[in-house]
Amino acid sequence: MLGVMLIAPCVLIFCAVIVYPLVSAVYLSLFNIFTPTLQGNFVGLQNYAELFAGEEFWRSLLNTLIWTVCTLFLQVVLGVAAALMLHQAIVFRALARSLILFPYFVSTVVAVLVWRWLFNDLYGILNHLMMWSGLLQMPLDWLGSMPNAMVSIVLVGAWKYFPFVVIAILARLQTIPDQLYEAATIDGAGAWSRFTDVTLPQLKDVLMVVVLLRAIWDFKEFDLIYLMTGGGPLIATQTLPLMVYKEAFGLDAMGRATAVAVAMMAVMLVFMVLYLRRMGKEEAR
Amino acid sequence: MKRVAFNLMAWTIVLVTAFPLIWMVITSVKPQFELFRIPPTFWPEEITFEHYRRLLWETPFLTFMRNSLILSFSTTVLVVAVATLGAHSLVRFRYPGRERLAQLVLFTYLLPSVVLILPLYLMMVWLGVANSLLSLVIAYTSFALPYALWLLRSFMQGIPDDLESAALVDGATRMEAFFDVILPQALPGIISTSLFTFILSWNEYLYALVLVNTDSARPLTTGVMSMLVSSFNIEWSLLMAASVMMSVPLIIIFAVLQKYLTRGFGAGGVKG
Amino acid sequence: MSAAGVTFTRVRKAFGEAVAVKGLDLAIRPGEFVSLLGPSGCGKTTTLRMLAGLEFPTSGEIMIGDRVVNDVAPGKRDIAMVFQSYALYPHMTVGENIAYPLKKQGMAKAERATQVARIAAMLKLEALLDRKPRQLSGGQQQRVALGRALVRSPKVFLLDEPLSNLDAKLRAHMRAELIELHRTLGRTFVYVTHDQLEAMTMSDRIAVMEGGELRQFAPPREVYDRPANLFVAGFIGTPPMNTLPGGFTDGTFSHPAITARFTVTGAPARVVLGVRPEDVLIGQGPHRATVRVVEPTGHETIVMLDAGGSPLTARAPAEASLNPGDAVSFALRAEKLHLFDAESQARLDARAVTLGESE
Ligand SMILES: Nc1ncnc2c1ncn2[C@@H]1O[C@H](COP(=O)(O)OP(=O)(O)O)[C@@H](O)[C@H]1O
Ligand SMILES: [Mg+2]
Repeated sequence: MLGVMLIAPCVLIFCAVIVYPLVSAVYLSLFNIFTPTLQGNFVGLQNYAELFAGEEFWRSLLNTLIWTVCTLFLQVVLGVAAALMLHQAIVFRALARSLILFPYFVSTVVAVLVWRWLFNDLYGILNHLMMWSGLLQMPLDWLGSMPNAMVSIVLVGAWKYFPFVVIAILARLQTIPDQLYEAATIDGAGAWSRFTDVTLPQLKDVLMVVVLLRAIWDFKEFDLIYLMTGGGPLIATQTLPLMVYKEAFGLDAMGRATAVAVAMMAVMLVFMVLYLRRMGKEEAR
Repeated sequence: MKRVAFNLMAWTIVLVTAFPLIWMVITSVKPQFELFRIPPTFWPEEITFEHYRRLLWETPFLTFMRNSLILSFSTTVLVVAVATLGAHSLVRFRYPGRERLAQLVLFTYLLPSVVLILPLYLMMVWLGVANSLLSLVIAYTSFALPYALWLLRSFMQGIPDDLESAALVDGATRMEAFFDVILPQALPGIISTSLFTFILSWNEYLYALVLVNTDSARPLTTGVMSMLVSSFNIEWSLLMAASVMMSVPLIIIFAVLQKYLTRGFGAGGVKG
Repeated sequence: MSAAGVTFTRVRKAFGEAVAVKGLDLAIRPGEFVSLLGPSGCGKTTTLRMLAGLEFPTSGEIMIGDRVVNDVAPGKRDIAMVFQSYALYPHMTVGENIAYPLKKQGMAKAERATQVARIAAMLKLEALLDRKPRQLSGGQQQRVALGRALVRSPKVFLLDEPLSNLDAKLRAHMRAELIELHRTLGRTFVYVTHDQLEAMTMSDRIAVMEGGELRQFAPPREVYDRPANLFVAGFIGTPPMNTLPGGFTDGTFSHPAITARFTVTGAPARVVLGVRPEDVLIGQGPHRATVRVVEPTGHETIVMLDAGGSPLTARAPAEASLNPGDAVSFALRAEKLHLFDAESQARLDARAVTLGESE
């Protein structure tokens, strides 16, 4: 009884700010709503029909997938590498760790402002450094043309979020018993085979979880892309969350926007169920 | 020799990673004219705090800062208080639907904000609280509460059941056992959770963008971006100064309380 | 306040599908030291936690003294408990830990201090009162847990494997101390353990449990000498009692290596003969066996034999020179033989009269 009372505030808030909006989103997606007045009429599945018939939804979905896969790949590769590096004894390791982790904790707004300054076509240090080192002949338009814009957001996404992988992997690395390495060394394993035979199998589980979680989060990323490119040029980097925002507040079509959001969630549900399954298994242990 | 080479390589990577943030600080103390030097200077020829002065006195930055502080503190206090009780209930009590609820928490933790934002927007308009800090506090609970609940649940699962049992046998009621024994034990977890919740709220952008469009209620994230958009020519050094200022609370947390951050990660950040 | 008895009446506890305690009937006398003994997972802790009020019985009735306590909160049952993990409050000092039950009773601070000092003197904890639990050794933590239980002089002490985390030497020492404590306090002790040595040395009576059921409730001597069933016979004693299955006709037990005549009425056709290793006398006798393994332990030698296809363990003097493969003769102490129904596993009231080799 007391237990129920203690959880009650949580449940109430949940219902108010999550369950109700969620149900309401599905409901709203069946209406045609003009954002400024919030007036609308019931149109059934027409929003969805238009969406799936049009090109923009599919283009945005593709963009979302490209962005998610590319940036996730970079995050994992960089994250694992950095974690392995930070696991070694290097000088001022604590400071190195803090510096590596910091991008994850700064606001996306800060990250974007800094990168847009770095990417600045005239005075940005990046163009300058690349021209100075001979990688570039001409200043590059990092955000205003394709495929540069996609590459840029993927890079910034990797920079911002790889520390998450680092923390997770680092925590796991610290729990691998030294005996395993000693045993492998006695069995004649070199550095590389120690990595593939001892470290990697131990990291498999946590990597699975990290990849699923990051995939979900990258898929729904709004701030970073919106602030970097706004979806542009045109809709070349417009992902589904950006499309929701644009439909709702750019095109004032609130109903269609919720339809996009609901469709997007349906896609995400696959990952979410996978993740929940996985966590369920871990809970059971 | 190998050690030295490895250290050099490692630190090069670290510095490259940290470079954007270092560059941010450097830019913020360079005089405006020095930014447009070609080739750019690395070290400022002259260090100036002019941009910080202008930021604080000639822009609404301090209002944004105040809003962000109020917003993040309120959200954190509300969410952590409610979630602590809830997590305690989820971990120590048995009632039908408890497992389902725990799963639901994890599920909501993964929900994309863009799905919730439009109905929440309508709800705020309907409640008549749109365009206020209150609307943001309400909206922020939608992501902060599942997060805090999940994190605290992991922490509290780590507190042995026997402790509460012992307190009960020693004559405490369940609430007394909670305050006397569980809460002190959960304190590090509560601190971690508070920090994470605070950072999440501090950094949130989308809800603030949609729900608030007056400077008087804007938090830093949308406030600073509006400074970028509204200015005639972009003053990068001013924006970099704003970015630095915006990151100050994080730097403080990082420097002083980092162990709580890593602990929070171990408990729930990765698990869920 | 004094000691109180404890009565379990048809107490059952189910966790969903799993039944941890299946209809327990147990009457503990005031001032008695009773051990709940059984293998891990048999429901000892659940029984104790129900007595403490930390779990609610699914059905049945629990009484402390003459009061039904099913609906009484743990703190109001006038009991104290020592947990296997000690469950010391990590953020409180030793003194605060011991004082906590008194504080919850609403005792004044000065009075609390006196009581804590009394307990500290009794358990030699005076020097540690200001330390935190994590600064203590396992043995010291154990004493603090004991102190916290003792401080309010409860009617019944509940102890859940309190010694299992101590090293062997300390455990022997604490056993003696607990016996002494029980004697001086004269309170009821309910002591959970899976260690038969603890149960045998400390208890007035032992409740042997298996799979959520009570198998025997009797004084240690009786549990050892007259095990009520095959489970108790096999669980008590190291090495455990030998059990030889065989046929039973006209009062005669027959096994390839052993025959024995019993005076018994109404025995079943299939029985199990039980004999403790110390009651197997190697040297001469009517039975033959082959030595399989010889394990000298120092003060004696454990010999594993093959008697007509059945394994048979014997205790021999340390001097005995036996080697694997040796053929030996042995005898059984007739008055120490046990007979069990192979079907129901229950003890048969039988006395051996003559023993002989199988034809
Ligand atoms: N809270 C619980 N939920 C589900 N099953 C439990 C719980 N507590 C105990 N059990 C089960 O009840 C049985 C008895 O457990 P317990 O009383 O702890 O055994 P013992 O103390 O004798 O080792 C075990 O099978 C155990 O798995
Ligand atoms: Mg137990």
